[in-house]
Amino acid sequence: MFQVIGGRGVQVTRLLAPGRAVLVEAVRGRKSRTDTVAKSKQGRIKVPPPVDPTEMVVLKERYAEYEMITRALRLEFKEEVLRKKYEEETGSMAEEHRALMVFNDQENLRMLQQRVVRIQMEKEEAENKQVEAAIERELQQQEFIKEKEREILKLQEDAKNFITLENLDQRIEEALDSPKNYNFAVDKEGRVVKQTMLQ
Amino acid sequence: MVHLSSLLLKNYHGGYVVIRLALAGHKQANRPFYRIVAAYNKRARDGKYIEQLGTYDPLPNIYNEKLVSFNFDRIKYWIGCGAHPTKPISKLLGLAGFFPLHPMTITEAERQRAQTEPIAAGPGDDLQQGQKEAEP
Repeated sequence: MFQVIGGRGVQVTRLLAPGRAVLVEAVRGRKSRTDTVAKSKQGRIKVPPPVDPTEMVVLKERYAEYEMITRALRLEFKEEVLRKKYEEETGSMAEEHRALMVFNDQENLRMLQQRVVRIQMEKEEAENKQVEAAIERELQQQEFIKEKEREILKLQEDAKNFITLENLDQRIEEALDSPKNYNFAVDKEGRVVKQTMLQ
Repeated sequence: MVHLSSLLLKNYHGGYVVIRLALAGHKQANRPFYRIVAAYNKRARDGKYIEQLGTYDPLPNIYNEKLVSFNFDRIKYWIGCGAHPTKPISKLLGLAGFFPLHPMTITEAERQRAQTEPIAAGPGDDLQQGQKEAEP
């Protein structure tokens, strides 16, 4: 009828506050847009039915409870219908079904136990691995430190033979005094000959 | 008469099943008699239904009783399949005890009691009536 109150639904609980007494829209009933309004309905203003607020509050509560209960009932009936259909299908095989379910449960239990044991073993292995890895890392670190120390010592020893500003002249003199011969000869068979004609 | 409606049910797009009252027997004027029926929503009120689930006689008999009958098993089945009961059916089922009491039943009874009280107690309870009329 009205475009506001359309379709099925709880029409009573729709209007709580009876604020508006005048409806803006006109109604398209039996007559079309161009038909004249009847003489008896010339100045008629359609008004929604009056609503008592206290009664409305009480009604809303009652409807909420009612709908909750009916919804629960509907779900119960649905479940019952499904169960009946299911039992119809598995009625002849009920005993087999039960035996299979029991077997399934036992299998699940066995698998569970196996799984638990396996997980325990794996956990222990992982822990051992971790401990070993930590030890390895420690050892590596120690090795590294020792390596570095050896290098340092080597460097310290080499430092004694370095050429410094004070040694410069002395070393030049030494180098000039001792000539080194880098010439050598190689045979086709690979025999090296270091002794050559010194100039 | 054997209804073959279960074999010849038409497929409705977006249609659903309702449990509602259908007038039976148009042969007598001013003597209504309803059948409580599970039918598709789009069907005519008195048209082909899926299954009859009971009766309702709105006129009281010589013992001042209105007789109603329900097939609760089938009603449970249809509601479980997703049928919608209409308002009068919900009210009847509420009065029968199968559903909870419909709120409007209680409200109508309260309103009637409020109306009959002033007549019994005299013109002193006009407050309630005045309150109802003052709310437009």
